[in-house]
Amino acid sequence: MRGILNHLRGRRAQLDRDLDRELAYHFERRVAELVAGGASHAEARRRANLELGGLAQVREAVRETWTWPTLDALALDLRYAIRTLRKSRGFAYGVGAVLTLALAANIVVFSVLNAVLLEPLPYPNAERLVAIETLWTNTGRVTPDVSGPDYLDWQAQSDVFAAMAAFYSNDYSNDEVPTVVGDRAVFANVQSTSGDFFGVLGQSAAAGRLLTERDAEEGVAAVAVAYDWAVTHFGSADAAVGKRIRVYGGDTEIVGVAAPGFRYPDGADIWGAGAVANDGDRADHVYRAVGRLRSGVALAEAQAQMRTIAAALAEEYPANRLKSTILVPLKEQLTEPVRGPLWLLMIASGAVLLIASTNIAGLLLARATERARELAVRAALGAGRARVARQLLMEGGVLVAASGAAGLLLAWLTTRLLLALSPLASLLEDARLVGPGVLLFAVSISLLALVSFTVVPALRVSRLDLMNGLRSGSKLVTPGGGPRWRSTLVIGQVALSVVLVVAAGLLLRSFVLLQHVELGYTRDRVVFAYMQHAVDESSPEAHDRTIRARIDFYAELLERLRRVPGVGAAAGITFLPMGKEVRATRDMFVDGQPATQFGERPQAEFYAITPDFFATLGIPLLAGRDFSATMDTRGRPETAIVNETFVRTVLGGQAALGQRVRWNERGPWWEIVGIVGDARWQAPGLPPQPTLFVPSFTGIGTSLSLAARTSLDEGALASTLQTLIRDLNPTVPVRIETMDRLFDSALARPRFLALVVGGFAAFAALLAAVGLFSVLAYMVGQRRRELALRQALGAQVADVLKMVVGQGLRLTAVGLVFGLVVALALTRLLEGLLYGVAPWDAATYAGATAVLGVAAMLAAFLPARRAAAIAPATALQED
Amino acid sequence: MPSLRFPIPQGTLDMLILQILSLGPAHGYGIGQRLAQTSRDVVQVNQGSLYPALHRLEQKSWLAAEWRISETGREAKFYALTRAGRKQLKEEKASWDRLSTAVDLIFAEGA
Repeated sequence: MRGILNHLRGRRAQLDRDLDRELAYHFERRVAELVAGGASHAEARRRANLELGGLAQVREAVRETWTWPTLDALALDLRYAIRTLRKSRGFAYGVGAVLTLALAANIVVFSVLNAVLLEPLPYPNAERLVAIETLWTNTGRVTPDVSGPDYLDWQAQSDVFAAMAAFYSNDYSNDEVPTVVGDRAVFANVQSTSGDFFGVLGQSAAAGRLLTERDAEEGVAAVAVAYDWAVTHFGSADAAVGKRIRVYGGDTEIVGVAAPGFRYPDGADIWGAGAVANDGDRADHVYRAVGRLRSGVALAEAQAQMRTIAAALAEEYPANRLKSTILVPLKEQLTEPVRGPLWLLMIASGAVLLIASTNIAGLLLARATERARELAVRAALGAGRARVARQLLMEGGVLVAASGAAGLLLAWLTTRLLLALSPLASLLEDARLVGPGVLLFAVSISLLALVSFTVVPALRVSRLDLMNGLRSGSKLVTPGGGPRWRSTLVIGQVALSVVLVVAAGLLLRSFVLLQHVELGYTRDRVVFAYMQHAVDESSPEAHDRTIRARIDFYAELLERLRRVPGVGAAAGITFLPMGKEVRATRDMFVDGQPATQFGERPQAEFYAITPDFFATLGIPLLAGRDFSATMDTRGRPETAIVNETFVRTVLGGQAALGQRVRWNERGPWWEIVGIVGDARWQAPGLPPQPTLFVPSFTGIGTSLSLAARTSLDEGALASTLQTLIRDLNPTVPVRIETMDRLFDSALARPRFLALVVGGFAAFAALLAAVGLFSVLAYMVGQRRRELALRQALGAQVADVLKMVVGQGLRLTAVGLVFGLVVALALTRLLEGLLYGVAPWDAATYAGATAVLGVAAMLAAFLPARRAAAIAPATALQED
Repeated sequence: MPSLRFPIPQGTLDMLILQILSLGPAHGYGIGQRLAQTSRDVVQVNQGSLYPALHRLEQKSWLAAEWRISETGREAKFYALTRAGRKQLKEEKASWDRLSTAVDLIFAEGA
């Protein structure tokens, strides 16, 4: 204790002086004693000095008793480490920058991974929440959509759930529902829930009350709203309770506000209550179901029971013949789309850190070898080998600590940026991005990095041959061990880089191919007005009336729109392209084809359109005719248009015109009057699907979105559109999109991945090149004499260059071989993320080889030149 | 003069220093002299061991130090036993007695 106090009070200098005085006194007395015994003064001093045995050591020994030795020594080491690093600023900053970037990358990726994949969902008892999904036994396909009657049977027959709930699946509900709040028409994400929805998720209200099972059963016109939505539209949660709004044409009252941050499912703004109809179609999979397992019930047990129930249903109902049930932990279901990419990024950043650390290890070792003489002297002077090794560790530690702190800061900034920009933003809304888990990770990888690149140099120093080291011209470290070990490192680095470069190349090519994919329709200067015209479902007459109103609305709107200057053509379609409104395909029935079983029927995409749609979007009409306003409206015979793929797959390539199709077993038949070219409407990355178009003026389908092709500025058209629509019907909310923007956002994820992995790959390749460079430079330095001798004996500059570059290329080649093999094995995992390229695409692998080959040549260039420039005379004279 | 230097364990040296100082304060040189004289030159401690020991004992608050004029007229650092030091000495003496008795017993067995 006294020691620390001494230290803190800074009495150190004083203590040193006192000690010197004390020892000096002892020395004087001894000298006096010897003189008194008959020795001469000089003799006495000499003997006294001998007896003293090393003033410095005595001092050291005493000093060590003053304070807690470790603390003192650590402080000294720290000061010395900082001083040494300051002397070689270039090295310190270079290493620091590399390390900061590598650490930051890892921290960012991990924090996202942690928030999305590792942390539990922010609901009470989240680990007991499961999604109940449909498993098709003939294909093994699993879909999250379930049917109403199935859900009701599960609810009645199972006892493994404490609570169950169902809500309309996103494929069949609109997540942008027209809502009128006060006098404003807005889009809201409305979810229709039944059962004990809020109970299953353990939610309590922030204001008012949340919906209950009774609300669903009694069909009350009540909704609960999300916290943020309430604040945006009413100022506060409390203010929202009791207000009346019109949701999709129906008048409802807000009875409560959910807790802040709760937006399940899919970012819901408003929750309505609606019972699952028990007279629904068992083949209509329009719901999603979740349940909370009873405490004490294991997932396997619940799964078994549900399977049994599903088997019984399969026996009883033909529609269920091919269905079974599967329970998926809710977290898994929600994170499924991002799991692959996230792990890919984590591995990539880990690889980069590994390469960086091994690079730095090599560099530090080289420095240790250079400073060998200095270190030997210090060790000989009494610092002790352990102390010197400790000093090296301290240097590495300072570098790592500084880089770690900088990396953490950089990571924090980057995640802020990512939240604003990346496609992952929706999953991160609620998550804390820099929490204790992330800090722990940051510290762990920093320590790992530190260990990996200080341990070996420190060990080498401990084995220094001190005596020989002090003699000039000797080698402190056996030349065999050093370069061999570092060469292996370089090979490893090259291999790792190759894997990353190949992965990046594949992703990049996928992205480029996607960018140039043949869509089948125009992309230029097409503006979309996304709208929802509400339909009143309170009675059949109201339904009829509003449907007719909707048809008239769109007809009038299109009329006015076509008269706007600059608009070449305009038309409407039920769903926006580019994955903005992904819809499931529907079963198709063809008149004259044999009856098919549920689950095995041909499927097709289904859209309602206005006349001129194909002309507006540049989709070629291949046979027959387009819809017309006069011939294809309500009350006229039902007509349809199909695309080429439909003809090929659903109709088996037979003549299409005149055939009749329908999409449910009881509806009217629709006659095919036209065939159009294929269009990748829903996802640019997927091959064109069979598609069926019907005229929207028959009243069928949901609300249309309008597409307009303009020869003028898209922005001007946007505001014109909005005015037009507001004038016609102010209760219809609008959002304007351009085809270009939709396309960009459809490609957002592939672009993001290609860029980020590309960045990592470039970084890794650079680091590998630097590693190669330092190994070659070291080698040239070690073999100076030999090279000089060769030159003196007549070797040409070219020969020397060839030697060095050859060595570099040899190392690279070995690394390449390893890396390419590993890449071949691993890139298979990327398959889900690629488009248009196979994981073993030869061109990409060749490209990666070329990139690293060039990098290797560049890396070898400088050392080769230096080797060639060695003046034989001076080198041979050197010691 | 032939010097017989027995390596003295650190703990024993501490005990001996405490004992010397129990007879009165002294400086480092004096302690060394006293040890040599009293033990008839068997215990000759060098500065590399003596001063670290003294400082260590001071750290543990068993000794208190003070700069005074010495017998030669120059200033020297005198060490004196503290109350805690006296207690420590008593304990160490007891341990030493027990140990040496035990060692004697074992040797007697063998004889």
